[in-house]
Parts: sequence; structure tokens; C-alpha cells
Amino acid sequence: MDREIVERVAHIAHLDLTEEELERYSKDLSEILEYFQMLDIAPESEEFGFDPVEVADVLRDDIPDMEIPADALLSQMKTYNDFVRGPRIS
Amino acid sequence: MTSEISLKDLKELNSRYNIFTSMTAEESVDAEFVFSAKDNLTSKDFETRAGSRILEGYTPGFDATPIRRMRDAGGFLAGKTNMDEFGFGTFSANSAYGIPRNPFDTNRSCGGSSGGAACAAAVLENHVALGVSTGGSISCPASFCGVFGITPTYGRVSRYGLIDYGNSLDKVGILSAKAADLTKYLPIISGKDHRDPTSCVQPDMRRSLRRIRSVAVPKEAIDGISEDVMKSFESALELLRSMSIDVEYVGMPSLKYSIPAYYVIATSEASTNLARYCGMRYGQQEGDLTLKFDDYFSSIRSKYFGDEAKRRILLGTFTRMVGYADRYYNKALQVRQVIIAEYKGIFKTHDAVLTPTMPFVSPRFDDISKMSALQSYKADFLTVPPNISGTPHLSVPCGYSEGMPVGMQFITDHWNEDLLLSMATEWENAFDIRHPEVKL
Repeated sequence: MDREIVERVAHIAHLDLTEEELERYSKDLSEILEYFQMLDIAPESEEFGFDPVEVADVLRDDIPDMEIPADALLSQMKTYNDFVRGPRIS
Repeated sequence: MTSEISLKDLKELNSRYNIFTSMTAEESVDAEFVFSAKDNLTSKDFETRAGSRILEGYTPGFDATPIRRMRDAGGFLAGKTNMDEFGFGTFSANSAYGIPRNPFDTNRSCGGSSGGAACAAAVLENHVALGVSTGGSISCPASFCGVFGITPTYGRVSRYGLIDYGNSLDKVGILSAKAADLTKYLPIISGKDHRDPTSCVQPDMRRSLRRIRSVAVPKEAIDGISEDVMKSFESALELLRSMSIDVEYVGMPSLKYSIPAYYVIATSEASTNLARYCGMRYGQQEGDLTLKFDDYFSSIRSKYFGDEAKRRILLGTFTRMVGYADRYYNKALQVRQVIIAEYKGIFKTHDAVLTPTMPFVSPRFDDISKMSALQSYKADFLTVPPNISGTPHLSVPCGYSEGMPVGMQFITDHWNEDLLLSMATEWENAFDIRHPEVKL
């Protein structure tokens, strides 16, 4: 994977990489993707699934419930007047 | 192993082996049993950081289902065990909180990513360790530390409260020095949980355990195995034959595709799961909020994710990108089905597939530091196949080389954990298991 692609991928993934990281990950990922080329000749399957076992939609009864109190969750965040703070959006 | 342990001795052992990332401040008075949990399982009263700096300060207000079930059964949670950051590693060397040290030789790895769990199981008597496996993170450390490690079928144990690595791959299991603990505690943590729909389709676990009568050894799985591991494995095969278990070599050509398929699926899922760590809701939130949101998220993530986490985020983001997804992610999903079909074919005529667990005994830390990322990934080539398939598997000690444990791994069809539990007991009775010398 060349340096420009690593830079583009890092931007999408919200990672700022140093020059040293760009060089290193470019080398590592090139080596890894070269090895992964064997997937091109791997057999294909008629079957398709995102999970290794069959997973069915299982719905619970539609009863309002709050297992974890909101203040317990808010306690993990730096809030201001019970609002979650965030960075500028523009 | 130590005998009954005081809090003072537990602290001493922790300072020697780096077992825990956080541990109890209380003695385990009147507990039915003592257990630990890998630090990617959320827990009341303990910081939960999954080996990552980005989760510093995160103390969840709830227990993951497996922890809650162990507590409900009378268990005392002694601590959260050390691990590779988010499970990203084979040697537990990618933890932000020190590296767990192998109790057979402290210059060597405990294996990963549940390295602290395996160490706890090896050095603490009467201890049950909850581990988590995505691509081999229970079997590998169980093998390196000479203990039993069972990874159940995908969906057998609820993942509610588990900090996701790869949603279609993550499984909670158990490590212990005693086979009886697997039989006793696996049913406790298993079962349907409406909080995790993937746990709700499972059949009940069999209470009367069936015995493994035949095993298949894939020829492709013993290519590239070190001489010392192969010697122990062949001796173990002889012992199995003497236990009236048929051993047959078979072909399993899809195995060679398992490493690329696994790493594509795992990193694709990981890169989306890790998007939630942006400095707003958990752990580290010490960024400059006057920055624009893209810059704020990037600043936090770049500062607090470790090296391997960044590498896997990049890899997984790339393999899902438009123009590359068909070649990598979609093809990997197909290869997973091919591997599952090959396992199913073998299970028509054999009760289990058997391989060594790892291709070598635990390496020294100076050798690990010289390994490239790809070399490290390739070391998982025996533990990845059952993990990508979601099939249950069991690592047991099967030999020793220069004092270091060697492990072998039984794999059975989906939902057939009972065969593995009976094998663990049978093997414990037949094989002379050694324990590390731990002085206090």
C-alpha cells in the first residue's frame, strides 16, 4: 500500500499519522496485502452470511425498561448541565 | 501453584507476573469461588480499559452478562486480567498496562490476547479465569501457560458487556488449571440472553457428556510446526490411540486461506467498532473542544490508540473501501463458508479435528520484538480456523519442551461443547500435567 493510500485511509479513519508512522504502516500493510493476494485464488461459496452460525431475529417483549440509569451513563462523560459536550460541528 | 491466597500474596504475584490491570482491594471472604475476567468485559466496581489508554478512567456501571452470572453463582471477582489492546495480539505484548509474564519462564510471553487470564489460571490455585477469543485468544495463552482453555460456539455465551473487537467472531470462554472447572462453569456463563440476540438461537448444552471416539488431523495443519511441538504432538497422538481413540490424517485444503480471510473480517469489524472511541462518551476526553469535530476526534484517537490498534484500523478501513471490498471483505466472507463446509464434511465421519494449538512454544520477548506484523499474524494459523468458523474448541497441555508447555487443540461441530468437556477430563486423567513453580 503506497504512502498516499495510507494517508487517505488514515484520514477516513480519523487518525493523524506522523511521517515515521506513514512510512512504517505503508511498509507493513504492503507486506500484509501482498500475502492476502491468495484470497484471489481461494474457492468461492454459494453460501453467504455475516455470522458463522445461523442467527435469527429475536425480539423481546416491547416493554419500556431502563437497566442502566441515565445518570450512571452520564457519569462517564464530561457533561455540562447534563448535556454531553462535544467539539464544534462547523 | 500457590495454595489459598491472601490479598497480600495476590498483590505480590501481580507485581511479579503483571496478571491484572485492576484488582480487588478486599479479601475474598465467604466466596463460593474466586474468578477473574479479561479486561474487555465490563464490570461494576472495576475500571475496564481493554488494555487501551483510550479507555483510561472508564468504570462501567454494569456487569457483562458472563460476569454477572459468575457473581450470581457465588463468585468473587478478584480482578480484571491483562490483555493486548482490544484483543489485538498473539503475545499480550500490545497492552498499555505492562506485559504479563509466563510463569514457566518470565522472559517469555503468556500468549495473547487473554495472557493475564492464562497466567491467573496457571499460578492461582482454585481460580477460574474468563477469557475472550476472537482469533485464538483463549487457546494460544492456554497453550503457552500450560492450562485448559475452552472457547465455546459463537453465540453460546452472551456478549452483552463485551467490548467488541469483531462482532461475528468474539466468544467468551474459560481458562483453568483444572478440567472440572470447565465442566462446572461453562454452563453457568452460557445460555440465552435477550440483551445479545446472537445468544438466543442456541440449543441447550448437553448435560450428559458424550465421549470423543475419533479425531481427524489435517495434514495442512502440521506443515510449519516446530520440531519440539511436533514431537510432543506425536506422543500425544500415541496416548490418544492407547485411550481407544481413532486418529486419522485428513486433507483440509481451505486451511491455508484462513489467515487472510480472518484478518480481513476481523479488522473490517474492528475498524467500525473502534469508531466509537472519539473522546466523547468513554475514557479519555481530554481534548481541545474548540477544535472542529474531525480534528478533535482525530487528535484523541491518534494520541491514545496504540501501534497495533492503528495498524488494524487502517487495514480494516482499507479492506471495506469502495473498490476493494469485493476483493477483500466479501471474498473473505465466502472463504469463511468454505472453511465451515470443510469442517462439517469432516464431522460427518469424525467427532473432532485435532491440531497442535500453536506452531511453537512461547517465544522470548526479545524474539517477539523482532517479528513483523505479518509474522505475528501468521503465528495464529492453527487457532484462526475454528474461530472464523465459530466452532467450539479446547486447548489442553500435551507436552513440554525445555520446560515450556506445548498445547493441542480439539475442535468439534457447532454446539458440541459436551465432547470437549468430556475430553478435558479424560485427558487430565491420562496425561501428566505440570504446574509452574510459584514461590511466595
